[in-house]
Amino acid sequence: MFQTFHPKYVVNTPYLFFTGKGGVGKTSTACATAVALADTGKKVLIVSTDPASNLQDVFDIEIGNDPVEVPSVPNLSACNIDPEESARQYREKVISPYRSALPESVVATMEEQLSGACTVEIAAFDEFSNLLTDQELISQYDHILFDTAPTGHTLRLLQLPTAWSSFLEESTHGASCLGPLSGLGEKKQMYSSTVKALSDPKMTTLILVTRPEPSSMLEAERASAELKEIGMENQVVIINGLLEKHIEEDRISKAFFDRQQSALAEMPARLKQVGMFAIPYVPFSLTGIGNLRHMFNSVTHSVEINEVELSEDRLHSLQDLVNDFAQRDMRIIFTMGKGGVGKTTIASAIAVGLAEKGIKVHLTTTDPAAHLDYAFQQKNAYNRLSISRLDPKKEVEAYKEAVLSQNKNQLNEEALAYLEEDLNSPCTEEIAVFQAFADIVEKSKDEVVVIDTAPTGHTLLLLNSAKSYHKEISRSTGTVSESVQNLLPKLRNPEETSVVIVTLPEATPVLEATRLRDDLKRASIEPQWWVINQSLYAQQTTDPILQSKAEAEKVWIKKVSEEIAEKTSIVPWQPEEKLGYDKMKDLINSSFSH
Amino acid sequence: MKTIKIFDPALCCPTGVCGPSVDPELTRVASAIFILEKKGFPISRYNLANNPAAFVEHKEVNQVLHERGPDALPLVMLDGKVEKVGSYPSNEEFASWLGVDVKELTLEKPRNQLL
Repeated sequence: MFQTFHPKYVVNTPYLFFTGKGGVGKTSTACATAVALADTGKKVLIVSTDPASNLQDVFDIEIGNDPVEVPSVPNLSACNIDPEESARQYREKVISPYRSALPESVVATMEEQLSGACTVEIAAFDEFSNLLTDQELISQYDHILFDTAPTGHTLRLLQLPTAWSSFLEESTHGASCLGPLSGLGEKKQMYSSTVKALSDPKMTTLILVTRPEPSSMLEAERASAELKEIGMENQVVIINGLLEKHIEEDRISKAFFDRQQSALAEMPARLKQVGMFAIPYVPFSLTGIGNLRHMFNSVTHSVEINEVELSEDRLHSLQDLVNDFAQRDMRIIFTMGKGGVGKTTIASAIAVGLAEKGIKVHLTTTDPAAHLDYAFQQKNAYNRLSISRLDPKKEVEAYKEAVLSQNKNQLNEEALAYLEEDLNSPCTEEIAVFQAFADIVEKSKDEVVVIDTAPTGHTLLLLNSAKSYHKEISRSTGTVSESVQNLLPKLRNPEETSVVIVTLPEATPVLEATRLRDDLKRASIEPQWWVINQSLYAQQTTDPILQSKAEAEKVWIKKVSEEIAEKTSIVPWQPEEKLGYDKMKDLINSSFSH
Repeated sequence: MKTIKIFDPALCCPTGVCGPSVDPELTRVASAIFILEKKGFPISRYNLANNPAAFVEHKEVNQVLHERGPDALPLVMLDGKVEKVGSYPSNEEFASWLGVDVKELTLEKPRNQLL
């Protein structure tokens, strides 16, 4: 079994970065760690970078940009930094003086270019650096905790000598991903000392937070390897939410427990090499100091009844969603959501649902773990349902290969390394995958196409502006492919295309999904249906811990179904993994178990 | 000597790679400019996303932008006059404007020091 996490075992550096997929409990773990350290008499600062930070609720005080002392916890201070907000401010600072001087369409292209994922990533790094290089500030604390860590892409970019050379400064190639922060030269010193502190095991511990489930452990493994490579070698894994006991006779409780255990048994090999601790499953929400202090000291608890009044009339089954799509003759259906929320499962279920209605469907999935082909092939309905798999890694590799070989003869090694790092940006992957999707849609004109990953609004706007841009320049060969050009107008047409947002009934996934939705809106795409997946509230169990979790879900289900989504479908937490055609049929019809 | 000013569209990664497509034009233009600068020909380049002021201060550019919108970019000014709208100069154009041999604008040895 795993040793239960307690800060006193692991914390021996001044800086602690918590990383992990959305919804694994980074912020909660960071807060609880901060409180535990402060309780031992250390001076602690906790920094939240979550745009929807709930540090205010946790500590029950106003928290802003500058550290404030938390009255209820001696020795603890807290502050919020918001990279999206600083990226927005930066964007506004650059653009606002020109709103009147330049035509609106021109300003719009500037805005879009400064809205990429890279801008936000670099803005976040800039904020970390400001804190970590402020000697006066850091001398006041024994420990500074961050509820998120920079990505490998950002750190590698900053380590490239080219990023600092005249290659960038003299605008030979212009800005790159780093471009959005002007005055980079002045910041060089600050950024390099930040990178140095991050890769010093005496200064920084990286805490990888994961749930005991396959996709979040894979993500933790990936982050671990990537950050190790750039020098962040002092790492610890926390498995958050481990169910310690269960009720053998309760089907749901037993399945919940068993699934965690089998996920742990199949833990990714590289992750096993990192020191590992567990935090028991706590169903209560982590507001209030009392609950935070309980996190590391298992206590028995009773079911907290939530005062939320939820109108169940607004919650539909997946079958309702499928009926709606069939009736309106949707041609292209995307599912969208952060990793681990079950996009692929929902996409597969929708495809099966449509095939069952006699519609010809093509399902494309990017999830390498979706062993759908095998399971689906045994069915008669197979002739109505075809499946293809798309490997994002391969698409990106092919794209990278093409770009690098195109430029190999024109650039020196340093410049090529720089280009290669640009190719590692999150935008590149999206573009590469989208191109592959477009080809698939093009090929399946007579079928409904269901795809398990939707492009972001940023990608769509970039592609769209590129389309009009290249229209004018026929001799440029760097054009957007024809299949992409054909697909773009279709995506904007709500009669033809639907984007389904998939989320979990928890705080972070709902907030992240809302951000995805806002981003799509910029590209004039309005998702109608939301799917709340893996809901314990929609399931029935006698396990008090799981019951408490079900109660805690209500507030998020209500928010989605009554405030955010036009139509909401809810899928109960499934005691077994749904693979294969018949199991998908079960999933479509499953709604409330109570 | 003629002065050349190039006004780029808003580019996120002007390498083009984290944009919608990879444009070898950008690499060609960047290489040509690099070589010309090394020979002592001053060529100014302005990226709309980083240096919007230039698009306002140059009145002729501003006027074209108001008439044609973002499609007017990239735009090239030669000795203060708008010379090209919507595309980059070819190597031949660079060569004839500045009186150099066009052959000098392509790198002979691959992986030659660019920086």
